Order: sequence, then C-alpha cells, then structure tokens
Amino acid sequence: MSKSGRVFITGYGIITSIGKNAEENLQSLVDQRHGYGDIDILKTAHSHDLRCCEIKITDEELRRLSGGTGSGLTRTTLLGLTALREAVHHAGLSAQDLTKSGLLSSTTTGGIREFEHDFFNILDLERHGDFEQFADTAIPGDHSERLASQVGIHNYVATLSTACSSAANAIMQGAALIRSGRLECALCGGSEALSKFTINGFNALMILDNEHCRPFDATRRGLNLGEGAAYLVLESEARVERLKKKPLAVLAGAGNANDAYHPTASSPDGTGALKAMRLALSHGGVDAADVNYVNAHGTATENNDLSEGTGLKRLFADNLPPFNSTKPYTGHTLAAAGSIEAVYSILALQHGMVWPSLNFNTPIPELGIRPVTKLERNMSIRNVLSNSFGFGGNTSSLLISAV
Amino acid sequence: MPQTLDELKQELKQELIKQLNLDEVLPPDFNENTPLFGEGLGLDSIDSLELVVLLDRNYGIKLKDPKEGRQIFQSIRTMAEYIHANRPQA
Amino acid sequence: MQGKAHIYINGTACISPQRTFDGFALNDPVNYTSNVLTCVTPDFKAYLPAAQLRRLGRMLRVGLTTSIICLRNSGVTAPDGIITATGYGFLEDTERFLREIIERKERQLTPTHFMQGTYNALAGIVGLSLHCTGYNNTYVSKGYALGSALDDAIIQIRDAAELNLLVGAYDEAVSVQYKSVARDGHFKKEQIDSLKLFEHQTQGSLQGEGAAFFLLSGIQTAQTICRLTGHYGLFQPSADELKNELESFLSSHNTSLAELDLWIAGFSGDVDRDQNLRALAEGTLSSIPQARFKHLTGEYCTADGFALWLGANIVKSQSVPASIMTPPSRTPGRIKKVLIVNHYLDRNYNFFLLDRPKS
Repeated sequence: MSKSGRVFITGYGIITSIGKNAEENLQSLVDQRHGYGDIDILKTAHSHDLRCCEIKITDEELRRLSGGTGSGLTRTTLLGLTALREAVHHAGLSAQDLTKSGLLSSTTTGGIREFEHDFFNILDLERHGDFEQFADTAIPGDHSERLASQVGIHNYVATLSTACSSAANAIMQGAALIRSGRLECALCGGSEALSKFTINGFNALMILDNEHCRPFDATRRGLNLGEGAAYLVLESEARVERLKKKPLAVLAGAGNANDAYHPTASSPDGTGALKAMRLALSHGGVDAADVNYVNAHGTATENNDLSEGTGLKRLFADNLPPFNSTKPYTGHTLAAAGSIEAVYSILALQHGMVWPSLNFNTPIPELGIRPVTKLERNMSIRNVLSNSFGFGGNTSSLLISAV
Repeated sequence: MPQTLDELKQELKQELIKQLNLDEVLPPDFNENTPLFGEGLGLDSIDSLELVVLLDRNYGIKLKDPKEGRQIFQSIRTMAEYIHANRPQA
Repeated sequence: MQGKAHIYINGTACISPQRTFDGFALNDPVNYTSNVLTCVTPDFKAYLPAAQLRRLGRMLRVGLTTSIICLRNSGVTAPDGIITATGYGFLEDTERFLREIIERKERQLTPTHFMQGTYNALAGIVGLSLHCTGYNNTYVSKGYALGSALDDAIIQIRDAAELNLLVGAYDEAVSVQYKSVARDGHFKKEQIDSLKLFEHQTQGSLQGEGAAFFLLSGIQTAQTICRLTGHYGLFQPSADELKNELESFLSSHNTSLAELDLWIAGFSGDVDRDQNLRALAEGTLSSIPQARFKHLTGEYCTADGFALWLGANIVKSQSVPASIMTPPSRTPGRIKKVLIVNHYLDRNYNFFLLDRPKS
C-alpha cells in the first residue's frame, strides 16, 4: 500500500450510447439494453454494411446538454464536457476547487471527425467559413485545453493517447500526481466520437464485426465501434478527510505494461495482459484470490479475447472470478473505454451487481472460460479489476476497491 | 489477349515491391517460390492486409476472411495461380 | 509523500534541422529560407535494419533512430519503461489516410497509414524493437507534452531510483500542420532567413521539427550528462505570474539568480507571443547570459526537447555553441547551473533547471 495515503474516487460522469449519465447507464445495464444499431448521425458510406453504438444525440443537442460555449467545440469535446460536468457535480467540486484541480483527459481521434468533414476547405487557406473553427482541433491535446477552459481548470492540464488503454492511463497518472503531492484533486478519463477515420481504419485492419459482437465466444469475429466519454474524480486521502467527504471507492492500484509483440496484435500467451493485472494487484496489495469481478477489455476480436483470456487463466488459474465484457452494450469506445469501464466497475461495486456479457454461447476452445451470462445481484464485490489494452502493445489494468 | 501466368507473376512482383516498399529488402535469389511470410521475405500480418487490398483493387477479388490469405499469399506463384483462377472475367 | 531520488540525464540524443545527431557544436548552422525547417538526418541504414525501415514513415525513422542513439550514449540496452511526447503526432500519415478515404469513397483501404498515424506509434515501435514489456505511455498535451512525460518519469524515479526510463519528444513539420494553424497566425507571412529570425520583429514564428530522447535515472553513472534538478509547467500565466512562479521555482530548488550561469530562452520570434518572455528577460533574468535556439529549430510543440538536449550537453561539455548566444559576447565561463524557460504560443511555459552533478 502506498505510504502517501490512498487515492479516493469521489465522483464520476459518463455518457455512452446506453445513457447520457450514470443513472441511465446503470438502468440500461440492468435491463440489458445495448446501444448497437444503425449509424444515423455520422454520414458514412458504411452505414449500409456496418452498425455501431452511436449516441443518438446531435452535436447541437450535445452543446445544450453540456452547456458548452463558444466555437471550436468538437463532438469529442462536447461528449467529454457532458461527462465532466456530471463528474464535477457528483463530487461536489466548487469553482474554487476546480482552479486548484488537474485534468488528465485522453482521446485517439480528437477532432478528426470535424477535420475529415471539412478536409478540403480547411486545407485551402483561400476558403473561409464556419469550418475554420475546426482547423486546428483535430489533435488530441486540443480537447483537454477546451475542457479545462470550459470548466475552469488551470492548475494542471495533460492529454494522453495510448489507443484503447488511454483513459486507464489517464486515471493512473492522475493518481500518481496525487500520491506525489503535485495535485490534491484530479479529473481523469477520456472521450471519443465516432468518425469515418476510425471506422475505415478498423475496417482496413479487418477487425470489425458487421454483426453484434460476441466477446469471449468461439464464433466471435471482431469488434463494434462506439462513442462516449467518462471521467473519475480522484482526491487525496488528506483532502477527503479534511473536507469530511464520503468517498465512493478507492483507486487501489494500477498497472501499465507493454506486450511488445506486434503493432496491432496482442501476444497469444497474454504476456502484457498478465503483467498489467499483476502490477495493479501488487500495487494495491491485493491477492488475485480477493478479486470479485473482472471487467475485461473483451473487444471480441479473435486476437484480444484469446490473449486476454489466456492472461486471465494464467493469473487466476482455477479461481477465475466472475468476468464480463461490457462492450456489447457500448461498443468499443477506444480511448474512453478505460474510464467508461472504470465507472461500470464502480457501479458494480456500489450495487453488488455483475451484468451479463451479451451474445456469449460457446467458450473459446483453447480456454474453456465462461463470462457471466445472466444478471447477478447481491454480490459482495470488494475488489474489481478493469482491463484496457491498445495498439502499440499498451496494456493497462486498474484495481478499484471498496472503501 | 488475356494475361499469361508468367506475365501475371512479373506484374505481381513489381506490385509487391511498390506496395510494400521491398526495394532494399529483396534477397538476391528471390523467385516465384520464395516464401513471402515467415522465413524468406519475412512479411507480417499488416502486409497480409495490404495484399488483401491489392487483390481487390487490382484484380477485383474480395476476400471476406483475412485468414484465407495465408494459403494464397505463400509465394508469388501461389498468388498468381489464385488470381489467374479467380479473377472476374473482363 | 514522494521519495527523494535525484533525477539524472544519463543519455541524450537529438535529430533536428541542424546537424545534431552526432554532436552538439552547432558550428556552421543551416539557414532555411522557406519558413519551414526540416531535419538533417543520418543514414538510417546505419541504425535500422532494412526490414524495419521499409515499414516506417520519415518521422518514425527519425524518432526510432534518435532513441537508438540515446540508448547507445547511455550504455543502457534495456530501459525499464518508455514514455513519448508529441503535439501533432504523425499528421502526415493521418492526412494520407484521410485522402485515401475521400478519394476511394471509403472502399479498398490499406491500414498502414492509419496505424502509423497513431500518436503512440513511436512508443510502440521502440518498445517492440527493444522487447521492452515495461511501462509505456504517450502524452499529447500540445506545448506541455514533454512536460507531462517528464512529470510521469520523475514521479516514478523519485520512488524507485534504480529505474532507467527512456523519454522522447518529437513533432513533424508537414504541410497539413502548417495549414491547420496558418489562420491562427502561428507562422510568419513574410519569408525570412531562419538564422535572422530575431531580427524580424513581426508576428509569427517558423515551422520546425525534431526528435529528442533522454535516458533518465535516479542513479548517477559514468555516462551521466547532468542532473535534472527541477521542472515545472505553467498554463497561460500573466507576466506577473510568470515572474513569481519562476522565483518560487528557483527558491524551491535552493537556487539564487546569481547562481545561474546561463539561461536558454524559448523565444519563438513572434513579437506578440514573445512579450511575456521578453518581460522576464528584461526584468528578472536581465543579468544572466542568455541563449536562444528557435532560429536553429523553428517552433513546434516539443521544441523544449531540443532545449533540454542543448542545456544538458552544455553542462556536460562546459562549452556553449556560439550560434546560440545573444549577444555572443556574453558567453559564460564555468557552467554549473543552466535554466531553460520555454513557451509554446504564450500558452504553455516550462522551466527546467539543470545542474552539474558532483563527480
């Protein structure tokens, strides 16, 4: 356990295709209602052959929902702002608190959706128009600065981008900054909007399923893309005690490792996954035997689920705790997945529930493991592992524990 | 006149060099039977995806499952034979 | 609270618009006349096998080669972790993929440019090349990208001094980036000689690029170049805040102004955006010998990487390249402490304090 005090989670905010706040997300999970469907808002040639977990809220509506003001707010920023405001409110942070807090956000695509939409206009300096507000919002670092400006955070603003493990790393680094004494309060997470760039990139890698994804199933064929955002509010133990706050959970541990196997594929023996999970557990001083639930990365690609499943078996041997992938509900939200699934992990802990891993029928022959397939209630959940693995071999795992 | 198998093999070799930047990597004894993946040229799964696209763009053949590529892309010869047998008639 | 380990820079390397890959004398600096400064590169074949080279775009080659040179200099072959930093990443690959998407109407696309355009591509490739399964992260905080990466590395090393962490920063000068920021006046409208950047009191800077890598550790070795005594980042400070924070920063490291032998100033050449830094230069730091570098590198999000590389080598070699001094006559003699104050667009400010370690 850390000598410098624990890092508490005192609030969260989330928006996905299954709900625009935590309460709606929870209800959807309990009702087993997923967000997989037609692509309506984003204009893409693939709306005929692919489905995604798109958030059925237009950018204009998101502006109203998030209270975003001014220009240059991309959909990624607006989604992030919606979730961030909920987190701020949930944790009871005042404007004064925010000026002293840090923001660590993450995204893989940033404002690429707007950039691709007005590509030729933006690159022709003779042309002028509304699109100019999005000329320089493509890069990931932009959205964090906008978010910080919209909610009034100035002390510390950083952006991470490690593909699908991004938000988990943002949470991990926020906790590190708190333990080091640099910050007392950090808002950490990620945001991702759907884009043609991502849809076509993943399609070119041939890892999309044109049906609803089936994590950990023998017949799985790939992932579904989704969009969304989520943030955790992390506060130091000293601050929580001083302000007599009631924390929701503890960010007990975090592990970051690299598979070092291939630019876009995970190693078949789950090396990176295993290392990240072990690091998170040892960091938190928790034994594998005390883990009550694992929210797997579970993208339903042939490669990930086999690799991650192998890592799970190596870590837990015959005592594999209940596990699922929540990606059939939300789609793979790329950078935001780490924080969205951290919120789900906290909800599981708070409500003693594990939701079924949808579309599972037959175990992967090499593994023989089965995720949870019906709603489990009244569970005693004290320790949750949440995995997020990305391109570039980035493997991260968060350990979230009851207070 | 439809393309002969030999002409196709020559064309494929040039296409591969161009598409996969193989200029400085081709071993001197490279021939139509040199294994493209693993030992031999050492191409990997990303190259395999490039070849799937090449099959589609240049020869109108769509592979649904990338795993089919393993057999087809073993060598220039196997690629040429597959294309020759499966390309849509002009 | 944090552990107390010192932070040492035990290896460093830089590829930039000057010949810096094999030395730092910066003699005969290269002059650019198009307002765009691009890297002077070594023969990559001397560092990377052909099989790997064929896969990599230009900047990935630059980044990977820089990391290799840094590791060679440090004598460390297996770092414990890799952290990279970039503002705009590999935007050229992203642009190529976008063009293909549009031109081919989203059909028959190949994944290479999509993958090479990801922001953590370099960290992934370095990790893969070294078979490093340790910590791996990438920061993209625009002008604070390197700062964020260093914060991460420093926290880890303070708790575990024996760690060797490889930290690298890079950005690419490409047309798509130029155009995305042109409307915001990042770069000069008039074409100038880059070496005469500071003679033009006009708006805008020059577009630059580069990669710089550092091997950081809590243990001093025979390869140690200098100590990174302190680092601090500020977001959009006023002139007063900049002055006060600098004074706090120095005093928190028990360093008086009089002890500074040199300061490296990140003047960008943009007369408006340089205002706050100028106030500092004419006020608090007026009596300290001043060096500048963006006439050699141009401006980019991670230009502080070049400054850090430069400062570290100055401390190690005890010599200051003539091409960076302003004015040249103020070159200091013995150099023990070097301060770097860099800014990006007058938004992100970074202080670095470098020390000559006791041998």
